[in-house]
Amino acid sequence: MAWEYIGDILRLTVLGGLGAAGILTVLLWKKNLATKVTFLRLVVQAVAFTALFYVFSLKLPLLYFFIFIFAITLFLGRFYCGWLCPFGFVMDIEVMLRKALGIRYRILPERFNGILHKLRYVIVAVFLALPIVLWFLQPPQNLNFADAMAKLLAGPFRPYTALIDPLIPVVVPWTSNAVNVAHINFTYPYVQDIIFWAGQNIGVAIALVFIGLTLASSFVFRRFWCRFCPTGVSLAVVNRFKGFKWAPLLHIEKDEEKCTKCGVCKRVCPAQVTEVYEQKGGKINTSMCMLCLRCVEMCPYAETLKVNIGNKTVFKSRNWLEPPKVE
Amino acid sequence: MKNEKVEKKYIPEIPAKEIDELKSTIQASSEKIMAENIERMKKTDPNRPQAMKYFDEISNLFGQRQRELAAEKEKGKKIIGYMCLFAPTELILAADAIPVRVNSGWYDTSKIGDRVVPVEVCPVIRSTIGAKMIGLSPFLEQSDALISVLTCDGMTKLGEILSDYKTIWEMNIPRVKDAPHSLRFWDDEIINMKKQLEQFTGNKITRKSLKAAIEQSQKATRVFRRLQDLRKGSPVIMGRDAMLVNQAYLWDDKERWTEKASALCDELEKRAERKDWVCPPDTPRVLVTGTPMFWPDSWKVPNLVEEADPKGIIVADELCSGERILNDPVGVDEWTMDDMLNAIGERYLMASTCPCFTSSDGNEDRINWLLNKVKESNVQGVIYYVTRGCMLYAMEYTRVKKALDKINVPMYYLDTEYTREDVGQMKTRVEAFLEMLTARADM
Repeated sequence: MAWEYIGDILRLTVLGGLGAAGILTVLLWKKNLATKVTFLRLVVQAVAFTALFYVFSLKLPLLYFFIFIFAITLFLGRFYCGWLCPFGFVMDIEVMLRKALGIRYRILPERFNGILHKLRYVIVAVFLALPIVLWFLQPPQNLNFADAMAKLLAGPFRPYTALIDPLIPVVVPWTSNAVNVAHINFTYPYVQDIIFWAGQNIGVAIALVFIGLTLASSFVFRRFWCRFCPTGVSLAVVNRFKGFKWAPLLHIEKDEEKCTKCGVCKRVCPAQVTEVYEQKGGKINTSMCMLCLRCVEMCPYAETLKVNIGNKTVFKSRNWLEPPKVE
Repeated sequence: MKNEKVEKKYIPEIPAKEIDELKSTIQASSEKIMAENIERMKKTDPNRPQAMKYFDEISNLFGQRQRELAAEKEKGKKIIGYMCLFAPTELILAADAIPVRVNSGWYDTSKIGDRVVPVEVCPVIRSTIGAKMIGLSPFLEQSDALISVLTCDGMTKLGEILSDYKTIWEMNIPRVKDAPHSLRFWDDEIINMKKQLEQFTGNKITRKSLKAAIEQSQKATRVFRRLQDLRKGSPVIMGRDAMLVNQAYLWDDKERWTEKASALCDELEKRAERKDWVCPPDTPRVLVTGTPMFWPDSWKVPNLVEEADPKGIIVADELCSGERILNDPVGVDEWTMDDMLNAIGERYLMASTCPCFTSSDGNEDRINWLLNKVKESNVQGVIYYVTRGCMLYAMEYTRVKKALDKINVPMYYLDTEYTREDVGQMKTRVEAFLEMLTARADM
């Protein structure tokens, strides 16, 4: 018993400490707005990664988690994908590894990227339709309506939880379906589902192929998974509702006259978003943007790209040839 | 090096005696003009920044820099001339060669160029051909190879004509820059140029050397932007002085230029703090755009504007011999060779506002660039400078005029030639325009 209490205290301390670190970093960032967004993002990702681990160890139902994401997505868009998603963090670590090896990324053809873009909607539709289809194929017996709904939502089909699978940290505190190596439980998005559907033996093989493929592809192409991630689409769609115009939404805005169309924003984008480059000015309208803000950071013309929350500018491009002014 | 004995495709035979005569007369008069230009600049601003002394010296085309280049050449360094801003200077620097721009601003040599091409051709081209025929330009003479970028009609043929004398590397530039295949094509040209430079100089362009070259250029851009930012406020430096500083980058040693221009900025910043203005802050602020103005003879228009009565001050320009030289940095994402090369390609092709580009919505970048400059620098009037024969700039005039009309900024079309004869009537025209600007400001 005592050990469990100590464990809980430890966890809370670490969580609190990490939270404080996060706040401190944000404060530091506010004072020194334009330095190294990419670096800051990695810090936030690491903090979020650890924090998510503890959230899972508290056994919070995933539904609450989903509501939380939904809520921040309303205002911030796919901020979650760029800054908090653990799977995204894994891919960014791969990028660091690739950079260290001096290998350059490959670029997907724009058309193929567009197809992947649309594929997201198909995947989501399949996820949502699958349980209902199965329901009709095998109508459950002896269940009243409430039980049936509960089974539909939380049962083995996991329609909504499967959608947010990439948000599960790669290391999890619990043991079900995770691989235990040296007392650390490793998991991976969708592996649980694959093993569930395909059975232990063949499922593990398929899961390994899946893991290998996704890791290799995101080593070669930057943020490959994000281009057709079903979670991404669920988040992006929410942000697109026109009914939320009153809310302090986050947008990237472009100043047409200051832009020389030098194309840096297009080249540095890890998701190969072209809208920032192609749109003439105003609010950038795309559901592919993960708000990693690399384009804003790399834009060499002061105040050409701006990140606005509501009417307030929180971050803008600057003449990065000058060292930032520290107050 | 090309064998001089090879039969020349374009250039007529000129007796050596005549060449020597022409060269010595034009060089003597040119030296006089350069000294006179500097005297005039000093007269306009008696309290000229101390740091300008260096740029006055380096601007002597037959002076210090020529000797330095000769010394470098003796050590085995190659000198690569280029005739258009699209030449990737970072690659030249990375190959341990020296880039110099060789376009000519001499009025007298344009008449010699008339022997090869008709007078309808752009005088910048004619003058450059003429300068080569008599061996006037030291930088053009010292170049071991020339990069010719096929932008406007004149530039396209200039390389071919000069191939009678020098090794020429053509770079084929796409005219519609927004299409993805254009960028791919241009990237290939950049890679090809890298190979040619490596072969020619014998130095391999490594990741390290290219990174160093890019960083060097970024440093220069940083100082350049500081200088332009200083010009945005109340005037602390005359436009001609700043234009000379910018243009000196084309032939000066890049590192030294950065250092000296930085010193100039420091001095100007102090002046701005003291509110030590170079002319009354209500002097009409003028932007110059159009055909490039090359030192020394093409200093005609800047001289006229800043010595006119009422006086104007050039606070910004959109010239490929001016602010466009260093405005855009190379933005590298990951420092791999491929990424650096692509970044260089994009910086030269995409960010450029050269009128040789076109598309269905026109060369919109140039309009945006101008509108932005007009607003940022608080410009009151624009002078659209076109030399006869400069088709692309002349043809874009109406569009620019319409765009500027919308924001109620007057523009004046100033067409001229490579000649000193029209100075009198140009003076009247410029003064009338400045008069109008002053009247508008009073209203």
